Amino acid sequence: MTTALPRRPAAAALLAMVLVATTCAAESPDAQVVLVPTSGPLVSLRLVFRVGSQDDPKGKEGLAALTAAMVAQGGTKTLKYEQVLDRFFPIAAALDGNCLKEVSVFSGSVHRDNLGVFIPLATEMIASPRFATEDFERLRDEALDHLTKTLRGNNDEALGKWTLQTSLYEGHPYGRPDTGLVAGLKAITLDDVKDFHRRHYTREALWLGLAGAADPGTVGLVEAGLTPLARVSEVKSVAPPPVAPNAGLDVTIVAKPADATAISIGFPITLTRSDDDFYALAVANSFLGEHRTFNGRLMQDLRGQRGLNYGDYSYIEDFIQEGQSTFPIPNNHRSQQYFSIWVRPVPTDKAVFALRAALWELDRLVEKGMTAEEFEATRSFLLNYSKLWVQTLSRRLGYEIEGRLYDRKNLVAELADRLPRLTVDQVNAAVRKHLKPSGLKVAIVAGNAEELRGLLIAAKPSPIVYDTQGTSADVLAQDREIEVFPLRDVKVRIVPVEQMFEK
Amino acid sequence: MKRRFLCLIAAAGCLPAAAADDADRPPILPYPIRKSTLDNGLGIVTVPFDSPGIIAYYTVVRTGSRNEVEKGLSGFAHFFEHMMFRGTEKYSQEAYNDALKALGADSNAFTTDDWTCYHMTIPASALAKAVEIEADRFRNLKYDEPAFQKEARAVLGEYNKSASSPFLKLEEAIADTAFTTHTYKHTTIGFLADVKDMPNQYAYSKVFFDRWYRPENCTIVVAGQVDHDALLGLAKSHYGTWARGGKTVDIPKEPAQAEPRKAALTWPLPTLPTLALAYHAPAADPADPDVPALRALQEAVFGETSPLYRALVLDEQKAETLSAFADPHRDPHLFTVLARGRKVEFMPEIGERIRKALADAAVMPIAEDRLKSIQSHLRYAFAAELDSADAVARAVGESIAMTGRPEAVNELYAAYDRLTPADLQRVAARYFAATHETAVTLETKETK
Repeated sequence: MTTALPRRPAAAALLAMVLVATTCAAESPDAQVVLVPTSGPLVSLRLVFRVGSQDDPKGKEGLAALTAAMVAQGGTKTLKYEQVLDRFFPIAAALDGNCLKEVSVFSGSVHRDNLGVFIPLATEMIASPRFATEDFERLRDEALDHLTKTLRGNNDEALGKWTLQTSLYEGHPYGRPDTGLVAGLKAITLDDVKDFHRRHYTREALWLGLAGAADPGTVGLVEAGLTPLARVSEVKSVAPPPVAPNAGLDVTIVAKPADATAISIGFPITLTRSDDDFYALAVANSFLGEHRTFNGRLMQDLRGQRGLNYGDYSYIEDFIQEGQSTFPIPNNHRSQQYFSIWVRPVPTDKAVFALRAALWELDRLVEKGMTAEEFEATRSFLLNYSKLWVQTLSRRLGYEIEGRLYDRKNLVAELADRLPRLTVDQVNAAVRKHLKPSGLKVAIVAGNAEELRGLLIAAKPSPIVYDTQGTSADVLAQDREIEVFPLRDVKVRIVPVEQMFEK
Repeated sequence: MKRRFLCLIAAAGCLPAAAADDADRPPILPYPIRKSTLDNGLGIVTVPFDSPGIIAYYTVVRTGSRNEVEKGLSGFAHFFEHMMFRGTEKYSQEAYNDALKALGADSNAFTTDDWTCYHMTIPASALAKAVEIEADRFRNLKYDEPAFQKEARAVLGEYNKSASSPFLKLEEAIADTAFTTHTYKHTTIGFLADVKDMPNQYAYSKVFFDRWYRPENCTIVVAGQVDHDALLGLAKSHYGTWARGGKTVDIPKEPAQAEPRKAALTWPLPTLPTLALAYHAPAADPADPDVPALRALQEAVFGETSPLYRALVLDEQKAETLSAFADPHRDPHLFTVLARGRKVEFMPEIGERIRKALADAAVMPIAEDRLKSIQSHLRYAFAAELDSADAVARAVGESIAMTGRPEAVNELYAAYDRLTPADLQRVAARYFAATHETAVTLETKETK
């Protein structure tokens, strides 16, 4: 039996969607406004301020994030926070606030029926926050609880990732959780928050975006609401200094009660989406470890062939997953990036093998590169898959703004433009150039820190013992290479978990 | 191969907006639902709308950890979800993955207490390929014992990743304490001892597949730029000769709870003290008027604009979070109130004030305008969720999983609109008696 099928070829159909976003993205006379009109009843609003945790004053680490929280979860000059909640509740709206390294992002989506309630209130929250003492205390306590309880004691994977960033950027503005540090948060006063807002939340520092059932009139409504913001900043965000690469294997073990071992590996890289090589590297990274897919070698070999853990992925830029979706949050703009591998918790007795296996996979990619066939398959995947990153209004808008911050088209459009012209040789050259570090940082969260230190320093073979049957001869042969994969110039420091993120 | 004659039992057109008595409001789902059923019982549901070039392709299997009646085999529905990616004769695991990779698919699966769901977001033009590869693995799954054992260890890894959060322990304790008989006694991922033992259950996995992965237990849901008749034709070709299984198991009924129960947990590291109060609540069918009433009550008594939230979280700041939830289930499950306190010493008072708020709700009617605000909130919150083909397919898929009816999602929102203050009083009086309560506390372990 034959059946009528949709006629549009995949790539063309998907490209059409992106072109809608691109061609409709109109800029207002003010170049920092992005408008993406689409059909449908929803409207998305995004405000991206170029201020982030890197701008925390020394000794007040956490000020940028606390300021963002006070804006998004506090009252306004005319309304207490509970009154803000009362206004938002019937329209099921909220203003989400998120402070990252270099930006603070506020976003919300609402039905067009409710624009008249949402926009005046959301903009009042941003431009004229209440800064009430009770909100300050509540939100500062929440931030402290996040560091001292959630991160230290309730989520080993997040703990490992923040430990890696702390280690990668030691003594650098990036080198702490965006939430801050315990000592820094305790030192912050409400006046600090007011001052930070006045100096950094300015029209000059803002990229404003609207998508969906919005028009230039809606932009006007937003602009009117933001009028109280100063136009020009007293202080400018300064690009952070580059991080010097390390030599050898620099391991930080966070010691805490843990039944399994979480591992993060990384090193700084010198390129961002502003660089041409980034797009070549994106193909190689997808091949090695596309986030939460089964396409990467890391996932296929560590989880699929060996059953070591639940997942293994790699990244060429900071990656924060958006909720339950597989995709990264948009608008995590950074002027410096790092390469990383995320090895989800493995059984304690297999931790050193798992670390070696991840390093071996990276080494294999660098030394052997991708074959033409692997390159074609991955390029094809990434061309189509990247179109899914902009499925929702809010995400489309986020990518449009992000592109402008990197002085490029949005990432999906850049990939669509560049990938068809890439060659496997360019990709392999980019890998050799950027993914062959002089040293690596490793963060491990473990319950057997001292034993692990001994194993790593000794750098003896770490053979894997399977409690499952039928590991293939090929995999067993690889295991013999992996178990002796050199761990050179290993330095290990052990940090008790209660000291993490303290000061 | 014996060919079976296929006929289509129902090829309904667009469903009416909602039941006739709700005709004054459009249905919550702004798109038509079309549904058909193949002769072998396989459901075919489409929700066509303009999602340029994209569809979400869902296979809803009405089997979850609820179906795990055999002792020692908890967590198997979820484990089996993993095995479904291990390939067939025609498409090995690698070939299946390559096919998805070529499409640029976002593909994954999840399991809950009641259903298992295989989902992919793909170009609309890939519909035929999706039907072909999905039909193949649902009919011809093939894996050997080594692959089974490796995957069992990936599942243990999944347990391990979650086990650094006290919420897994809390969730396990609530289920284990509130249920004595029903399979909701264990969480979806299963008892840890059973997860560890999974490599030894290869033979049972064949029984499980044969029992549940049958057409009458499955529905294909496609949302976005899709033509219903085209999907139907493809489904007939690829799934049409899939034989019914007809097997089932008896899922034990949970007897009424007659006395309060409690459990106390500790955590080895500093954590916020947490209290969960759980009460037995009805299954998720919106035909039961208590279901929408409990959802509205959840907002009225514990939502961010409720007096209790305002007092405990915002004004007095004794609790960092306060929330209530009653996740939809096929069989009667739980209405759970969860509070994380700032200090251990606040916890007894927090518990008493939660109980008092529930008791008050039974005797004091909610103001009409407050109820209207809640109804508006529920409607707009759901509308805002429907921002992609994937979100639409998921909402409809859940409706099918819970009730067998895709349109139940519209019925639920119509029922919200009919609520009166008396409905909220009625359910408050009915479900929150002290004898129905399961209280679970979690605190940092004393290290003196």
